[in-house]
Amino acid sequence: MATTKTATKKPRSKSAAAAKPTLKKKVEFRFETLFEREKAVRELIARTCLTMDAYDFNSYLDLCHEDFQYTITTYSPELRKDIIWLDHDKMGMKTLLDVLPLHASDHFLRLTMSRHLSVYTIDYSANDTRASVVSGLQVFNTAKDGGVTELLSVAKYFDTVALEGGKASLLSREVRLDTRMLGETGSLIPF
Amino acid sequence: MPQSATQWGRTPSLPPTHYVDSRIYTDQTLFEEEQEKIFEKVWSLVCHESEVPNAYDFRRCQHMSGKELLVIRGKDMKIRTFYNQCPHRGNVIAFEPSGNAKRLTCIFHLWSFDTKGNCVEITREKEGFQDRLSKKDVGLREVKTDLSAGGFVWVNVDDDCGPLEEFIDGSLDCFQHEFSTKPLEIISYHKAIVPSNYKLWHDTNRELYHEYLHRHNRMVAVMQPGYFDRLYHIFGNGHMSADPMDTRYDAYEGYGGEQRKLGWPGGGDTIHKFSDLFPTMTFNLRPPALRIDTMVPLGPDKTIIEYRGLGIKGDTPAERAERFCDHNAVWGPFGRNLSEDQIAVVGQMMAIKTGRDNSYILHGREENGAHDDICLRHYYSEWSKRMGRSAADPFNEQAAVAAE
Repeated sequence: MATTKTATKKPRSKSAAAAKPTLKKKVEFRFETLFEREKAVRELIARTCLTMDAYDFNSYLDLCHEDFQYTITTYSPELRKDIIWLDHDKMGMKTLLDVLPLHASDHFLRLTMSRHLSVYTIDYSANDTRASVVSGLQVFNTAKDGGVTELLSVAKYFDTVALEGGKASLLSREVRLDTRMLGETGSLIPF
Repeated sequence: MPQSATQWGRTPSLPPTHYVDSRIYTDQTLFEEEQEKIFEKVWSLVCHESEVPNAYDFRRCQHMSGKELLVIRGKDMKIRTFYNQCPHRGNVIAFEPSGNAKRLTCIFHLWSFDTKGNCVEITREKEGFQDRLSKKDVGLREVKTDLSAGGFVWVNVDDDCGPLEEFIDGSLDCFQHEFSTKPLEIISYHKAIVPSNYKLWHDTNRELYHEYLHRHNRMVAVMQPGYFDRLYHIFGNGHMSADPMDTRYDAYEGYGGEQRKLGWPGGGDTIHKFSDLFPTMTFNLRPPALRIDTMVPLGPDKTIIEYRGLGIKGDTPAERAERFCDHNAVWGPFGRNLSEDQIAVVGQMMAIKTGRDNSYILHGREENGAHDDICLRHYYSEWSKRMGRSAADPFNEQAAVAAE
């Protein structure tokens, strides 16, 4: 027989609700100090890497603003122009990430990706609701037997972080690649 | 049933046209022979004319024989190709992948050349060479260059080669309308160096049976009506094409559940068609973009694969964006297909690379349709002819055993 958790869920007691004002206050917190604001920004950028490294795509998308825009760009000296290799809004990104596990599962077995990040600069908008963040990125791939780690790409993140309602979320990300040959097999997984 | 070493090494119970010895993909001496007998003899596609659109534009390319080349559009708008090598001390003249220059000057000793390959400057010429050597003696080495329909630039390093049209032998006629209705333009370029043999990549491009590897292809093609009825057409010099097929892009997640609206002038909006030319070229049209693969084999187990995406010259910005997006969704470096294909050919080489435990690669499917291996058998028939060796028995071992 099927049961549901909601059927057995205990209602919150009045006293528990009364103990919540501290939490409510936190939600409305507006990063009044530079330290807290910067910590939120840095943690957000780092978590986008950690969630993608873990192939935890849903958690990655949870870090993204509803108006999220994602691009992977590079300069082609052969064509002497900028080119865009991936361009998605949040829905497009979700569709892509949802379908990837259905693709060549051996690809997932082969790749253990690790995104190494250094946040270089953080600049805030006049009203402090946006942060422009530039980070250095190196993406490594380690063979499943742990024997060889290969540098897949050197790149930069050019991110815009929304600072709204006491929360930092990724509004846009441009992955600007220096390395255009992505290892032996390329990558289905966005950086 | 598992096989013993003897069973594993036994020749397949198929005609010798229906399998190849795996050492044709791994043996260094065979590779060097291929350089001499194939790469330096056949026409090779090196770029598209839109990569050098203006007078004095140049594009640095690598010939399949490994030779550095410079494709240059002269003031007369003619496209010529030269070795990218200074005749003085052998240095590369252009290091940049592309550029624009009225004169090409070697950085080493500042010898200069014009876009017709004439040497126009020898630094301190009289002081060093007096009258023993002059500019007219040291022009650039020109390589035969011709354009095929659609503006593709082909070269041949063999001065005694036949005409390009004769080499192509009608294998690109299936693109006649698509290549002539409007001019083409390059929209994307990237490359990969894969630890695998160039023929394995070309095998994968030629046979449709491997489409089971790709979720994208399974959804938009393999599962669609008419797919298995596609027939291969073979042409001289090892080339082939396949019947076109109406592809259902809306069957794959990520295209918004709609059939694409932007097609390709002169062709159907959703018609997939392709031609594979011996030994390393592929033309693959999935509207709204065309993909061209070329290869530079660096060794039996190392290959540069160059991927070009083409659209239509004169696209509106919105059309170009759509063409680019659709091209990259499947064929870009982060696209659904190429990475999977690369995994497959890298895996093949991992398994067969020792070349010691003799094994055979089967090309034996006969079903008169999309999964018939005639596309592969035809390639290796040409390879065997040019190499003077059987692909199934390249070292004449089976023949020797039979004679005993």
